[in-house]
Amino acid sequence: MPTRREFGATALAGLTAKADRKLEGAFVFEAPGQGVEAGHRLRDHARFAAPARRVRIPAVIVGGGVAGLSAAWHFDRRGFRDFVLLELEQQAGGNARSGENAVSAYPWAAHYLPVPDKRQPLVHELCRELGLLHDDGTWDERWLCHSPQERLFIHGRWQEGIEPLVGLTKADAAQYAHFEERIAGFRLSGAFRIPMEAGLAQNTAAHRALDGVTMGEWMRREGLYSPYLKWFIDYSTRDDYGTRAADISAWAGLHYFAARAPEEKGPLTWPEGNGWIVKRLLAKLGRYVRTGAMVHRIQRQRRGWLVFTGDTVYEADFVVYAAPTHFASWLIDPPPPRWPIDSAPWLTANLTLDRWPANHGVEFCWDNVIYNSPSLGYVIATHQNLNTRQDKTVWTYYWALADGRAADQRRILLGGDWNWWKEKILTDLERAHPDIRRCVSRLDIFRIGHAMPRPVPGAIFHPERIARARHQGSLVYANCDLSALSLFEEAQYRGVSAADYVLRNASSTATR
Amino acid sequence: MTVVLFLSVFLIAACGLIYELIAGTLASYLLGDSVLQFSTIIGSYLFAMGIGSWLSRFIDRALVSRFITIELMVGLLGGFSSTILFLAFAYTTGFRVLLYSLVLAIGILVGLEIPLLMRILKERFGFKELVANVLTFDYLGALGASLLFPLLLVPKLGLVRSAILFGLINAGVALWSTFLFRRHLPSPLIQRAACAAVVLVLAGGMAVADHITDTADSALYADEVILAKTTPYQRIVLTKWKQDYRLYLNSHLQFSSRDEYRYHETLVHPGLASVAGARRALVLGGGDGLAVREMLKYPGLESITLVDLDPEMTRQFSTHPLLLELNAAALKNAKVHIVNADAFPWLERDNGVYDFVVVDFPDPNNYSLGKLYTTAFYRLLRHHVAENGAVVVQSTSPMFARKSFWCINETLKQAGFKTFPYHAYVPSFGEWGYVLGTRRDWQPPTALPTGLRFLTAGNVRSLFDFPPDLAPVPAEPNRLNDQTLVRYYDQEWREIVR
Repeated sequence: MPTRREFGATALAGLTAKADRKLEGAFVFEAPGQGVEAGHRLRDHARFAAPARRVRIPAVIVGGGVAGLSAAWHFDRRGFRDFVLLELEQQAGGNARSGENAVSAYPWAAHYLPVPDKRQPLVHELCRELGLLHDDGTWDERWLCHSPQERLFIHGRWQEGIEPLVGLTKADAAQYAHFEERIAGFRLSGAFRIPMEAGLAQNTAAHRALDGVTMGEWMRREGLYSPYLKWFIDYSTRDDYGTRAADISAWAGLHYFAARAPEEKGPLTWPEGNGWIVKRLLAKLGRYVRTGAMVHRIQRQRRGWLVFTGDTVYEADFVVYAAPTHFASWLIDPPPPRWPIDSAPWLTANLTLDRWPANHGVEFCWDNVIYNSPSLGYVIATHQNLNTRQDKTVWTYYWALADGRAADQRRILLGGDWNWWKEKILTDLERAHPDIRRCVSRLDIFRIGHAMPRPVPGAIFHPERIARARHQGSLVYANCDLSALSLFEEAQYRGVSAADYVLRNASSTATR
Repeated sequence: MTVVLFLSVFLIAACGLIYELIAGTLASYLLGDSVLQFSTIIGSYLFAMGIGSWLSRFIDRALVSRFITIELMVGLLGGFSSTILFLAFAYTTGFRVLLYSLVLAIGILVGLEIPLLMRILKERFGFKELVANVLTFDYLGALGASLLFPLLLVPKLGLVRSAILFGLINAGVALWSTFLFRRHLPSPLIQRAACAAVVLVLAGGMAVADHITDTADSALYADEVILAKTTPYQRIVLTKWKQDYRLYLNSHLQFSSRDEYRYHETLVHPGLASVAGARRALVLGGGDGLAVREMLKYPGLESITLVDLDPEMTRQFSTHPLLLELNAAALKNAKVHIVNADAFPWLERDNGVYDFVVVDFPDPNNYSLGKLYTTAFYRLLRHHVAENGAVVVQSTSPMFARKSFWCINETLKQAGFKTFPYHAYVPSFGEWGYVLGTRRDWQPPTALPTGLRFLTAGNVRSLFDFPPDLAPVPAEPNRLNDQTLVRYYDQEWREIVR
């Protein structure tokens, strides 16, 4: 029997604690020796044990994200097999990593691939190999994003599509039309292509000048002040490049809209996002991949390079450097110039829901966005399931910390504990789903301090970016940082073209 | 004596508050927006009590007998308040008018109680003591009621019985007053008889309380509800009117026993009778077993696999006597294998090949159901159909949803089927459509099983003839990534249903 004091204490506790359900969760990829900690050990030039083993090998790929894996893919399909791929983390995939629980697989970052247009032969080739593109030119319906695709919570209700349509005035509509018209013109110019390198030659002085101003400034000059259009453009640049329209280079902002043909259906998406592609690449290339292998030094030799990792030092003729480019000055000896492009901090969270929140109006879509929210909304990982009924689900929630300086935002990202971020996330979702707290049973958070390059004005035509992207010598850069645009296609292009350069030069060395 | 007097105050105060809470709760249940409902109900009720208090000045004589009459009126009106409101909600359109009239009436009567009682008691107590005690017990009663209501009454008794219980308490106070104040009553026996009558009426109401809520539920359906189940997947309701049984899933009519034979004969026989030597069959959806009943008319069939999402649906149609009569106990037949699963993933896992497949899903009125009408689904289905086999798809109405019907036809074509659309008139549905899909050329059957009520070997061919108002219209096929069908369907039915 409870004593009176105990009873009183329970009653008081009942007054203070909210009667929400118990919610479990943690930060992921933050075990000792992983993620942030490992990166900062490199930055701070920590001491590492001397390697016990020396291995001679023609080529080493450093970094197992999409760029590194694409380099490996290209090596392998050209019949070149004398290489290893070294990945710092326990799981390859970089920004295309994924997780899985009893309810569903889910992405940890990149979650879709736009259906490539005809001008992207590399992506086409990969898709054909993965069975996504059939011989008759049709795309596999199974993995094209199912209906309904996108919705926006605006003025207290959901509308179809994420371009705001509710409450538009005539002036707003006219501005949308003006913007569309300008984009159509940029699209025709051929200056904005994917990969971006393919269009650079078509850039006139006027196009280059766009890299000198922010997207916000360009919009002011165009007389685009509609709050809805401004929100939509800002949402788009945060979503793809982790950067606000007010901060992003107008060239990069316009690239987002003008680089793709508008009529394509899509995108391609999977429960685990681009992790689906990574899994299939690893099934084929896994034998080249060493995970948990932190490269802490890449030292130039008279001929070739020494690549130090754990207990092994690789003596390689060629290095494909596909790790984040800003690490290069800490790893490579002699160090290259400091990388001038800052990177954007991101947070992603996977929420496991025991039941769905109440929903009114437009049905749950693949992508669900909340107007004027600081976050980017959530994607439903179970959307591509074929069941007519799905009792439980996993939502992947995205938040690009794009306000102000990246370094400050990183401090906020790493400063908040799990409880603090959990509250931020649930409070944000509560705008559209007041009963969300009663539905979520687990909430895991991935904090990515350096998620992607921030293409601020000057980044695209920066001499250092252009120089680093040009392959020379026996160490070639391959990360998608080189494009300053974090896109699957850019990463693949960078990886393949670096590998291709190595193959051409390795064969000429061999014949010599 | 004093305690007993003030206990009456306590009780009538509690009763008064309970009726107010009941009205507020019911209004928020039925109308939504609880803040608005509670505010307006409490406001009106207090205002009505004010009117009652003011009216008390016009009562000059026979205070005790008036008090008893008022108690009895409150007991009756308050006691049956939730019953009246539930029934009004189900049967009339004037719920709000009735709600506020009732709140005003009860409020006025309750407002009369305390002033009258104080005037009755003023000879026994000094003014100071009287006001203090009456108001103390009045507020105490309110506290008691407000705690009792959410913690005990609503969860344990429900709204109908709680109201009646407090009606009984009002009547009890009235009866008790006939003893307490018998000196003031010229003929207490008459009053007691009236009290007894009210108590009897209320007690009777208590006994039939359960029926009242059931009656309200069945009033939403026009006919008698003989079965109502809420499963995790849907609400299953079976109604009866004379000899007509109707099945509703989530309020959508699935069949009427008067003409379902038309629907099911047309669904099964044109296809199945044309597949010579059919041995294995598959039914997707159709947990009512009515299509299976028709299929069992082919002795050559060796096995029928029925895949339906909802176990409760197949359980009811294999056990409920009325339903067994409807489907001729088809689901209990040894040839029938019941699988409770989601059709699309089940078909992905299954590796059977079938001579005849019936696809009988609910109409594609949302994106989840729409998946079961896509090229992806039909392509998968094609791998499960024997070379000379056939599938038939229930395809909504070519009359009311013409574009949707031809969209399903187009989708099957895109998935590689040769299609043979047809239609029939089913009175409770209207003109209804089906699409037959085969892998090879196909001819309608020339012979049908005996004992059919609608189809004959002679009239089957005519089903495939479409009059100009049902003739093909261009439609995009329905794909997972672009569910045109759900949009067509929504558009077309919206034009018809007002």
